[in-house]
Formats: sequence, structure tokens, C-alpha cells
Amino acid sequence: MESPGFISRVIKKLLVGPAVYYVWVLFLLCVIGVGIGAYTRQLQHGLIVTGMTSYVSWGFYIGNFTFLVGVAAAAVLLIIPAYLYDFGPIKEIVIVGEALAVSALIMCMLFVTADLGRPDRIWHLLPGLGILNLPSSLLGWDIVVLNGYLFLNLFIPGYLLYYAYNMQEPNWRFIGVFILLSIPWAVSIHTVTAFIYNGLVARPFWNASILAPRFLASAFCSGPALIILVYQLVRKYTRFHVTDEALFKITEFIAVAMALNLFLLGAEFYKELYSNTHHLSPFKYLYLGLHGKGNLVPWIWTASVLNVVAFIIFLIPATRKNFATLNLGCVLIILGIWIEKGIGLILPGFIPSPLGEVWEYVPTTIEVLVAAGIWGTGLLVFTVLMKVIIPIETGDLTKRSAAAA
Amino acid sequence: MKAIIGIRRVALPVLALGLVWMCLPCVPSVAQTTYQPTYPEITRELSGGLEPKVVPGQEFPVPFKPPPKTITPCRACHGPEKDFPVNYQRKEALLVHTNLQLHHGGVRVWCLDCHHPSVRDYLLPLSDGKPIPFAESYRLCGKCHGTKFRDWRNGIHGKRVGSWDGKKKYYLCVHCHNPHSPKFKPLTPMPPPARPWTPKEKQAKH
Amino acid sequence: MTDHNDRFSEKITASSHGVESASENRDGRSEKDAAILPDRRSFLAGVTALFGMLAVSSCSWEEFAQKHFREMTKEELDTTIDRLKTQYKAKYGKDFVVDTEGPIDGTLYGYALDIQRCIGCRRCVYACVEENNQSRDPQIQYIRVLRHKDARMDLEEATIYYDPEEVPEKGYYYMPVQCQHCANAPCTKVCPVQATWTEPDGIVVVDYNWCIGCRYCMAACPYMGRWFNFAEPVIPAEEVNPKTHYLGNRPRMRNVVEKCTFCIQRVRKGLYPACVEVCPVGARKFGNLLDPDSEIRRIMATKRVFRLKEELNTQPKFYYFFAT
Repeated sequence: MESPGFISRVIKKLLVGPAVYYVWVLFLLCVIGVGIGAYTRQLQHGLIVTGMTSYVSWGFYIGNFTFLVGVAAAAVLLIIPAYLYDFGPIKEIVIVGEALAVSALIMCMLFVTADLGRPDRIWHLLPGLGILNLPSSLLGWDIVVLNGYLFLNLFIPGYLLYYAYNMQEPNWRFIGVFILLSIPWAVSIHTVTAFIYNGLVARPFWNASILAPRFLASAFCSGPALIILVYQLVRKYTRFHVTDEALFKITEFIAVAMALNLFLLGAEFYKELYSNTHHLSPFKYLYLGLHGKGNLVPWIWTASVLNVVAFIIFLIPATRKNFATLNLGCVLIILGIWIEKGIGLILPGFIPSPLGEVWEYVPTTIEVLVAAGIWGTGLLVFTVLMKVIIPIETGDLTKRSAAAA
Repeated sequence: MKAIIGIRRVALPVLALGLVWMCLPCVPSVAQTTYQPTYPEITRELSGGLEPKVVPGQEFPVPFKPPPKTITPCRACHGPEKDFPVNYQRKEALLVHTNLQLHHGGVRVWCLDCHHPSVRDYLLPLSDGKPIPFAESYRLCGKCHGTKFRDWRNGIHGKRVGSWDGKKKYYLCVHCHNPHSPKFKPLTPMPPPARPWTPKEKQAKH
Repeated sequence: MTDHNDRFSEKITASSHGVESASENRDGRSEKDAAILPDRRSFLAGVTALFGMLAVSSCSWEEFAQKHFREMTKEELDTTIDRLKTQYKAKYGKDFVVDTEGPIDGTLYGYALDIQRCIGCRRCVYACVEENNQSRDPQIQYIRVLRHKDARMDLEEATIYYDPEEVPEKGYYYMPVQCQHCANAPCTKVCPVQATWTEPDGIVVVDYNWCIGCRYCMAACPYMGRWFNFAEPVIPAEEVNPKTHYLGNRPRMRNVVEKCTFCIQRVRKGLYPACVEVCPVGARKFGNLLDPDSEIRRIMATKRVFRLKEELNTQPKFYYFFAT
């Protein structure tokens, strides 16, 4: 398909770079190596090396998975203005968002795999070979939508980059269908992920219909915040051009999403506090501690403060358009949502247990190392994608430059 | 000695009351043997049609709990020709049977509320006038504890082992309740479950 | 007892799985061959690159490629059961029976527990562990006995760790909780690979060789009825129960989910579950919900019964009742 020499040129591109690039990749490879080591240990001994128990049967892995689905879904916030409204400044840079989505999706799948007790039986999920329990299992649906989204986010940029490389105008009518499809699909990956938890009557903390909207709202905070930081790095280290206008547009989205997130959280708080049923117990555990146990209390209050401060930063135009405070806000929001949507969402679902017991969960070193390895893998994938995509986008890597070389 | 009682017959209504064996020690244990109970003829009409439908042919063995050898037969001591005349008066300090503590029905119940005064190897009869052998003591129990007896007969009260839809063994009242002190005795519980492990990697080294 | 076993074997052969309990010689493959066939010979040497994880989880190619229980042909099932028997023999030194008996026609199992009788002695917990080959370490116990304060049924105030000299204790009552075998089971619905399902006789079972260990069912169960083997299960060889059922108490492997099956290996032979047999106060009742004359139906007809968390519409086939 590609013109001969494309692969070798890409490989050459990947092998050449500034010193900081080598250091970065080497660092990631080390982290990944440690992660693989930790995961091997987990495979050897079973999930007993994690902090998970019969009481808290999902933990750090699923928390990170949930957060990353949000990051992946956030690409839609770029796709809508870029392709639907033809907003120039974002259209130029949307491809980076899609690459971020791809990396996030790969991390999602790795996190779910790491959480599986029997990864050797993962083929049981493949329709045809195994049995994918559709339509009743939301985990089944999640596998479908995540893979579908991964395909879309590989196919759309791949198609556009192919034409960019060959210096031809892409068939917008053809690819437009996929672009349009990717918008509801992005919403669906996050909705379905929310539904995984949402549908469980056993877990009142999750069994609230506000969960899916809250998921989307918080996803549209953390994902774009990450994208803003990434764009600044990209434009610092490459010739890729990102306008301030595009970044500020994204911050506006974040401000709205954060407002919605806080509003929905408030609505949930009101309902639980005023009705004051036993469904309040997980909230008590999360925010105050229950039966003398409250590992999550400092975390969730930190997250709450981070989110509110970040919201104020994004709300005020002066701080929103100042890169120092903007970046601070982005970091705060990413950390805040990571806590709130990760462990802050997963663990209280299990505490207290459906039979009323309160047993806490703390991730083990192995879990943290495996998670670090997965994050490293995601970042490496993203780095590699950037290394390929950006020269094509900037016109450094095209058919013509190949001919010239 | 293996014997079978038709559930139909056990299920037959014993409209009466009663109590239990005076000569038993209080160990609730299950005897391994079963026995052939002799049933008085009770017509089905007496049942009043209240008992549940019974699958024909469904049968089960009723285990026998033998009275302790040391103090039986009762007639060895009790009888018209013996030295112990029938005493209908309540008497707290017994000369013999000093090991017995009667905690059954308060002050209203006395030995001869259950034990046959003249036919000492038997229990008091139901309305048919035939003394009840110890082996069928549950019939006498049912005289006072009618609702419990009905539940027992229906498999609701008491224990059954064996086959859920076939042959099963019924535990009698006296298997679990010492007739002289029928309150179920406390047991030492088995150990509580382990608390969930605290994450320690060394635990993985099995 | 012999005649009654015969009676049941008739029912069993007529059962819907159409699978006879494992017999020894078939397909021209003698028992000797089966014994010689090394379990680990066909280790995934060739595909290690792809499934390196298999090597560390020490699982054979046959085990890896094994199909879902309900999709195996009779021959495949026989081979699988031979393999399991060899495996168990090597591990525990005993000859195992691994039944695959299907449901008895016209049965739907129900369970009733008299919370007025229960004295919280936990005999059922340990009888269950022994009968069903649950891991002793890490500990798995299908039955949790909750101790409630009198006049309360607040799960958050209950405890399962009470340890007095004697039970029952004054001021408390006891409520054992195990898998409730829901008719509208939230756990089977969520399984992404259909590794758990409700049998026609109402028993919720797991195919331990199909479970991928995602633990979604554990999150879904409102009764904590499901347990996960976080490590390789440890059962002392002298205590292991060799009379097993494929969907029941056969020894499990690491990282899969397991649960109460109403002692499927016993009840499909007509026997009471182990917890019923052991209960010293006769608080546990079991029977066929489709038989109007069964003990369970008599209880439902004459006693006040309730089901745990009925508001969740899980429709348990496990009833609590008050006999007096």
C-alpha cells in the first residue's frame, strides 16, 4: 500500500532524535521492563500478590482503566469542532488528540488484561472462537466499543496521513462517515464503561443513573487537560504548529465540563444526604471514613480541592489564558479526576460490602509497578506515534521528500 | 433391624398431647439402628384432611434411640409386685433417679404426666387407650406440642438426612431434646472465618 | 441405599446433558494411554512467544484449548474428564469421580433456612468446605453466618467474626448467607464469556475452565455468594473429597471464581446438600420447588418466609423462614 521505503524511513525516523528523546525512550523502556517483571510475578503467584480480596475485588487496575477510558473519549472534544464545525485551529491539531486516544485505549486494554485472573483464556472473549456474552454483559459491550473506537482512531488518522504522505487530497466524503461515526462512538465508550458499574444492583454507590453523565463530564475535563499539556510539549519540541487560540478553545470546554461535573456531584450529594439511607454508607466511607476506616478520606478531599481550584482557574479568563496558571489547572484537574474517577469511584463501590462489612484496599507494590509499566507502554506508543505523525503533518515526511532523499 | 413406616401413617393425625421418656439420659445422639414400630390402628377420617398430600410409597426409616440399659426395663423395679408403689404425689426429692433434673413444663409436669403409672415400660396412651412404647415417644410429644409435631411430620421442624426426594431418616424429638430437659443445649461454635489478608507478598509463596 | 442409587442412575442417564458419568474405556483409548499421556508434555513450547503467560500458569495445551462445558461433544467431555482425573490423581493421590450428570427432569431446587432455629454454630460452614473442596489457605467459605442483634436486621451492624464459648448467645440471632441461586441472577447476566449460568434445575454454576477471572460477577452479586481463588487453592490431600461433579466440587485452579452449587454432586443424586445433613438443629431445608409436597413447598405454604434483599428483584430460591 505505502510507497516502498515508507516503513524503513519511519524506522529511521524512530531511531534518530535529540538526546532528550533517547533518554525519554530509555526511561520508558526501563519502566516497562519493571512492569513486565512485576506482572510476571503476578502471573506466577496469582492475584494474591495484589491488594484485592473477596471484599474489594477490583482495585487499582480497574481504577486506572476507568480514568483512561475518559481520556480516550475526550478526543471527541477535538473532533467535533475540528471536523463538524471546521474550526481551523483545532482541525490542524486534531490528529494529536486521536493519537492520544489510541494510546489511552491501548492502556485501557492492558489494564483490563492485567486485572484478569486468567489472561491465558482471553480468547474466550473472541466471537467465533469463544463466546462473547452479548447483549447481556456490559463488559462484552465494552470490549466491542473500545475495539471499535481503537479502529476508528487508527483508521481515520491513518487514512488522512496516507493522503498527506502522498500529498493528495483525501476523499472527505468517504472519511467523513467515519469521522461522524466516531463522535457518538466516543460518547459510547464512556457511557458503556459507566454502565459496567451502573447496572449493578449490589453496589448502590454505582447504581445511580447520574453515573454515566458524571463520567462523561469528568472525562471531558481530564482528557482535554492532558491534551493541552501534550500540545505544549509537542509544539516546544517539534515544528508542529499549535495556536494559542486552539488551546484556549479547549480550556473553555474544560470549564463547562467541570461546571457540569461539579453540578452533577452536588446533585448526587443532595440525594444521598437528604434521603439518608444506607446508600449513604459508601459516601461516608469515602469522605469521612466508616467504622474507623478511612484510607480514602485524604485522597478524596485532595481531589475535591484540586477540582474546585482547577475549576476556578478555568472559569476566570485571565487565569485561563495565562500559561502558568493554565498548566497548573491542567495538572490539578488531571490529578483530581484521576483520584475521583479512579480509586475514588471503584473502591467505595465495594465498601461497605453488600453484607455490610468494611474491609479496605491498598494497592501493593506489584500493582503499582504493573500500572507504571502500562502507563509507560502507553506513553511509548504515544511517543512513537508522534514521531511518525508529526513529520507527515509538517510535511517533512512525504513522498516528495522520499524522492528527494 | 431395619424398618419402614409409611409417611402416611406417621402423618396420620395424632390429636393428642404428651410427654416423653423419663428414663433417658440427656445425650442427643443418633442411634444407628432403626426399628419396627407397632402402630395402633387410627382411621384416616380422624385426620380431618388437614395433612398434606403424601406421595404413595414414599417411605422413610425412623431411627430408634434406645433407652439406657442401666435403668431399663423399668418394670425391674416398678410394678405391682415390686417395692415401689405408684405415687401420684409430686415429690421433689426422689430416692432413685437422683440424676434426673426435670426442666419440662414447669411445675405442671410430673413423671406420671408421661410415664405410664402401671405399665412402666410404656408411656401414657393417647385416646385409643393403648400405652405408647418408648420407641414411638414422638406421638406422645405431639399431644402437647401439636403444632411442632405437625411441623416435624411435614419436615419443617427437626432434622432429616438422606435423600431430598427419596428415603430419608427422621430425627425424633428425643434425638435433639432431652425429654427431661428439652431446651436445646448450647454448642461450641466452630472457628470464625479468617479476616481478609493484608497484602503481603510473602503470602503468595505457597 | 443401593436400590436408591440405582433409582437415581436411571434418572441421570435420561437427563438433558445426555452425558453419562465418566466411564473408563472409550474411543479405543485405554486408561493406560491416558495415564501415560504426559500432562505437561505438550507445553506451549511452540506458542510461548504468543502466550508466554501460559508457561508461568503451568497449564497444558489441552487445558488451554478446552471448550466451554456446554459446547463440548461427549467425546471431548470424556477426554477432558480423563485429563482432570489424571491431574487430580497426580496432585492428591486419589482416584476421583468427576460426574457430569445433568439435571433431573421436573426439578427446581429451593432452599429454606429457619432463622429462628439457627444457633450460629458454623457446622454448616465447615461441612461445606470439606464437601466442596474449598481452599483452606487462602480461606474460602461459601457460607457466612451473620450474627444480628435481636430486633435488628441491619447488615452493617451484623458480624461474621463472633467467637463466644457457646452459641446461641443471648441478645443475638443468626442468619447464614450463601449463594441464593437467584432466578434473576445478576451474576450470570454480567459474565462476559458465559462461564457462569443457571442450570435447568435452578442451580447457578461456573465452568472453572472457562472463567477468565474478571470478577465482574463478584461485583454484581448482592449476597457475596462468589469467591475468587486469589492463589493456588490448598487442600490437604487426606481431606480432599474425590466424589466430584464437573460443575461442582472438583478441585479448582488459581484465579477463577467459584461458588455454592447446592452440592450439585449430591443433589443430582438425590441426596441432601452437606449443610442440610450437618445442621444440628435442623434449620436447613432443601427440596424441589416444583413438587407441591416437598418440604420446601410445605414451608412456603405454611410459614412466613422472606428472601434477602427482595427489593432488588433477584428472586432468590433461598428462603428464610420463621418456624414458630
